[in-house]
Amino acid sequence: MPSKEDTYYKNRINSSYITSVISITLVLFTLGMLGLIVLQANSLSNYIKENIGFEIIIKPGVKEADILYLQKTLDLEPFVKTTEYITKEEASERLTSMLGEEFTGFLGEEENPLLPSIDIRFNADWANNDSLAVIEEAIITNENVKEVYYQKSLVHIINKNVRRISLILLGFSLLLLFIAMALINNTIRLSVYSKRFTIRSMKLIGATERFIRRPFVLKGVLQGVISAVITMLLISIIITVLKSNIPELAVLIGPEMIIYLFAFILLLGIFFAGVSTYFAVNKYLRMRTERLYG
Amino acid sequence: MSGDSIIKLNTASIYQRNKLVLENVDLDIGSGEFVYLIGKTGSGKSSLLQILYADLELKAGEGQVCGFDLNTVKRHDIPFLRRKLGIVFQNFQLLEDRNVEENFKFVLKATGWKDKNEINQRILEVLEQVEMIDKLKVMPHRLSGGEQQRIAIARSLLNHPEVILADEPTGNLDPETSNGIMKLLLKICESGKTVIMATHNYNIIHKFPGKIIKCENGLVINSANKLN
Repeated sequence: MPSKEDTYYKNRINSSYITSVISITLVLFTLGMLGLIVLQANSLSNYIKENIGFEIIIKPGVKEADILYLQKTLDLEPFVKTTEYITKEEASERLTSMLGEEFTGFLGEEENPLLPSIDIRFNADWANNDSLAVIEEAIITNENVKEVYYQKSLVHIINKNVRRISLILLGFSLLLLFIAMALINNTIRLSVYSKRFTIRSMKLIGATERFIRRPFVLKGVLQGVISAVITMLLISIIITVLKSNIPELAVLIGPEMIIYLFAFILLLGIFFAGVSTYFAVNKYLRMRTERLYG
Repeated sequence: MSGDSIIKLNTASIYQRNKLVLENVDLDIGSGEFVYLIGKTGSGKSSLLQILYADLELKAGEGQVCGFDLNTVKRHDIPFLRRKLGIVFQNFQLLEDRNVEENFKFVLKATGWKDKNEINQRILEVLEQVEMIDKLKVMPHRLSGGEQQRIAIARSLLNHPEVILADEPTGNLDPETSNGIMKLLLKICESGKTVIMATHNYNIIHKFPGKIIKCENGLVINSANKLN
């Protein structure tokens, strides 16, 4: 059994290990938070795109069975997320509730002048002016369709802004990724630097480079895993707190997104720590003895 | 008594980076010899040893150590050359984060030993050789300087090396402990191994005579059994 003093001594020698884990955790946490923002922004942009209104006005006198058939046909299309059939009566009720008074009397007509329609919500990938123009062209050829209505300028503005924000986020993410890589690399290099004489001793007793490198790289990967796990715990806490305070976020932060984010953090931790350790050890394996002192 | 040539240098020039440290070095050391390498600080003793364990590249001249050609040895073959050598340093260079047994196990595993019983057996053998059998589970920082050096010598013996290269092994030790280390190195030499020891402690050379090689003014002077 090693004495307490021996354990303390070993721990003191290995204290750089804990420092490295803390540093890597902080970097991964920053990246994780950015990842969360990027994924949320993506969800938000999809949410907005998928709520762009696209109305198909049906000609008067078309049988309900034909309208329902058209709705079913649309439901099978890959670009459609949801469809909603709005009858003349429902359209009238909605308009009345919007206006706050009966509009047929106001117009001086007894009969409901509104037409039935099918309201489409698109999958985000299709919610752009080019795709919508093609879809519009195809739908308008249907003999039961009177016209198609959607706000082209709104679609254009939404897509333009989403693209702009995505570019800014992408640039910022790349920059942060580079900074993270540099910080983790520096942390690991300092940690390996403190072991440079141990590496030299290992070389001189006849250990091969691969044998020397292996425990260092394994330890580096383990550091990456531990740091990633701590980061995941911290981000989980933040997500829970956010969701309990802003319930609307539950729509944007789904379990699938969290799994992707955590997988990303784990892979990043393992990759950065592993690769940095590999190169740092290689540097000291190949360094000339007198330079170890410099 | 010296046997077959185990270390040979012919007109070798030794450089540290681009600076010439020793030139026209001719050396022929047989197995079982005890050789002192003497000279002032900076005279090139350590550089000469570095050439022998391939820590420095031999840029000019020819050299063979334990059957390895220093001119053609590849980087990935250097560990196998070092397994035929036992290297001992002034500052011991034990792995500080593990006890004596773990230090030795690391060396044996690093050099291809697999069988646990053989590993344990060999560790006990070398500890017995240096009379440190009771230090098996002790951390290096708990050992005195003399004890650490004995452990470092035991470590160098693990792989049955043909040559022991000792760079100022008594440099950090008091005279009495140094005598103990010297007796140990001589005992190792008597068992048939070649010992090359760099030192500038002339008292030791007087007390324990051996072949002397002197590094001076960029040259190596063989002065067999004489100390000038």
